[in-house]
Amino acid sequence: MNPRLSLLAVLASSASQGPHALAAQDAPGLAGATPVVPPSGPSLLTDPPTIRRTVELTLTAAPTRLSLRPGDITDAYAYNGQVPGPTLELREGDRVVVHFRNALPEPSTIHWHGLHLPFTADGSPFHPVAPGGQHDYVFTVQPGAAGTYWYHPHPHHRTGQQVAKGLYGAIIVRAADDPLPLAEKLLILSDNRFRPDGSFDLRDPHSSHGRSDAENGREGDVLFVSGAIRPTLTIRSGEVQRWRVINASAARIYRLKLQGHTFLHIGNDGGLFERAVETGEIVLGVGERVELLVRGTGAPGARSVLQTLPYDRYIPQTRPPDWNAPRDLLFLQYSTAPAVAPVALPPVLRPVPALDTAQATATRVMVLTQHLINGKAMDMARVDVSTTLGATEIWEVENLVGMDHPFHLHGFQFQVLDRDGVPEPYRSWKDVVNVPKHQTARFIVRYDDHPGKWMFHCHILDHEDHGMMGVLEVRP
Amino acid sequence: MRSSRASFRYGGGLLAMLCMGCAASSRRSELPAGQAVQTDQSTQTVQARREQVLRGRVLTINHACGGCHGGGANPAAEGYLAGMRSPEQEFLIGPCATKPGATPCFRTRPRNLTPDNATGLGRFSERQIFNSLRYGLRPGETPDVEITSSVPGQGNFPTSPKYLAPPMPWPEWRHMTDQELWDIAVYLKHGVKPVRNKVPDSEGPPDFWVSEYTVEKIGPYPLPAFPTARERLPQ
Repeated sequence: MNPRLSLLAVLASSASQGPHALAAQDAPGLAGATPVVPPSGPSLLTDPPTIRRTVELTLTAAPTRLSLRPGDITDAYAYNGQVPGPTLELREGDRVVVHFRNALPEPSTIHWHGLHLPFTADGSPFHPVAPGGQHDYVFTVQPGAAGTYWYHPHPHHRTGQQVAKGLYGAIIVRAADDPLPLAEKLLILSDNRFRPDGSFDLRDPHSSHGRSDAENGREGDVLFVSGAIRPTLTIRSGEVQRWRVINASAARIYRLKLQGHTFLHIGNDGGLFERAVETGEIVLGVGERVELLVRGTGAPGARSVLQTLPYDRYIPQTRPPDWNAPRDLLFLQYSTAPAVAPVALPPVLRPVPALDTAQATATRVMVLTQHLINGKAMDMARVDVSTTLGATEIWEVENLVGMDHPFHLHGFQFQVLDRDGVPEPYRSWKDVVNVPKHQTARFIVRYDDHPGKWMFHCHILDHEDHGMMGVLEVRP
Repeated sequence: MRSSRASFRYGGGLLAMLCMGCAASSRRSELPAGQAVQTDQSTQTVQARREQVLRGRVLTINHACGGCHGGGANPAAEGYLAGMRSPEQEFLIGPCATKPGATPCFRTRPRNLTPDNATGLGRFSERQIFNSLRYGLRPGETPDVEITSSVPGQGNFPTSPKYLAPPMPWPEWRHMTDQELWDIAVYLKHGVKPVRNKVPDSEGPPDFWVSEYTVEKIGPYPLPAFPTARERLPQ
């Protein structure tokens, strides 16, 4: 049993009281008016009832004129007038009510990428919100979900366009017992392409450049970090910072390297690992997130740069000519203050219990080719995989073509088992697995809650919009 | 197995095509494009399938598939249909074919046609292999459905088709009958043992050869009615 999910049924049925309060209500003898005298003997310590927090907010998606690049005005789409949209900072157990107002001239949704929530709250193509319409997304942040997530539109065929125009934002879920209370930085990576007049360069898919976008996914030459271009981030010598990095790009895969430093890789899509892993570089597929510790090993006044190094995710026919140029993302500036003593890190960050492969009742083979999954393009009326609530299954995602495909499953976090038969070196919760060209990845997932129809798709948004998507139905 | 690189011109409207084992007759399909002979496995007897595999074997040999894809005309040969195993099996396509160093220069690498799941045709359906031979589409780029046209954008033919790289002679071989193409697909899927051999991707122009595979350059499909002005009916 996955412990991070074990409390969910209790919490979901209790709108305002904690699990202990509910347990007390269920105890026999409480219904009458006469107070119950507890049996003699040592009493059990119970916490007083807690009131769970409800986070309520409004997100309005609307056409907005913004300066995204210095000196330019761009007709963008924005959540609450901002690109990226406001960051949602939530706690495990929070009840979340988002009033979504669609002031766009086209249908839209908000998909809460990576969160485990009811089907009707997923913001998938099954629940479009009409222009001028509104919808309330109501869900509870499950215990154990602490991690970094993001939100973006997910209307059928139009996700790429709407995200490109500025609709994306971050979600941070915190645990009450966070083992790493350090200074944090949020890095939302995105890229875009502009015309000389400042407008977005969105190409007709039938033009030669548009075809290249359809093939590779749309990449831009302007790289943003949380909306800024090559910003500077400060650190003090000896300080340890916790970076949460989100790849919100439509297609670009980042290979992150901080010159003169190594990272401590501490978490993936669904939060922290058990133990930190030291690495020189991190490859971050589309839609993926990582948590990193950056240790200020430089001297006071020193300067470093975070780059994305060349990563060949392309097929030879459409590989961009400048694909192998490293690109600067941000500068890290050390203050001149004297060094502080590094903090000690806990040896175990949090337990990540393994899903048991012996419990798996089916293996789902997903064959990825360009724009197709198992030889089929998306059909909203078709169910591609049908299963039952509570089942544990293995997915085998085979990429038969010479281009990487980041594979995303809605609704359920999974654990990658192996890649091309090589066991995953450490366990983590994921909702996207990048499947490099001609490789096969296997993951295990348990449909523990929330029946409904869940999308799975390539997260290169152009591929998704062209139908590289399918439907998993979890029946009650 | 080929022992030296073959070269092809590309651009300028001329795309030289290799004619390997042209002995096979090109008969017009008895059915219009898209009306495929069904190969429903559940209703096929083992005997019928075996006969289909044997017919497919002959077609595969006499169309010289092994000439590029390995093994030549000998199904007992090492690497039979297993795809490129050494750089000598690469084809150079483009001006570099005749002038070393000239550009563009694309390398075509014969793929593994054995039914290995990860590196060959194992994960493609018979329908996708049929579509590949009939319409020249890369098997992974053809939907697993009956294709209703051979013109980009018409019916369910891809708007931006991705064609097999030259010198794969599909413009000629697509004129085989539906039954013959199904026989080849069934032979490759069920009559050959899988061999694991990962072949690097072929290169090509960003249009995936669309500008080379126009009706003007490869002729119409289906063929015009017999006899045309250049043919005659024996008296």
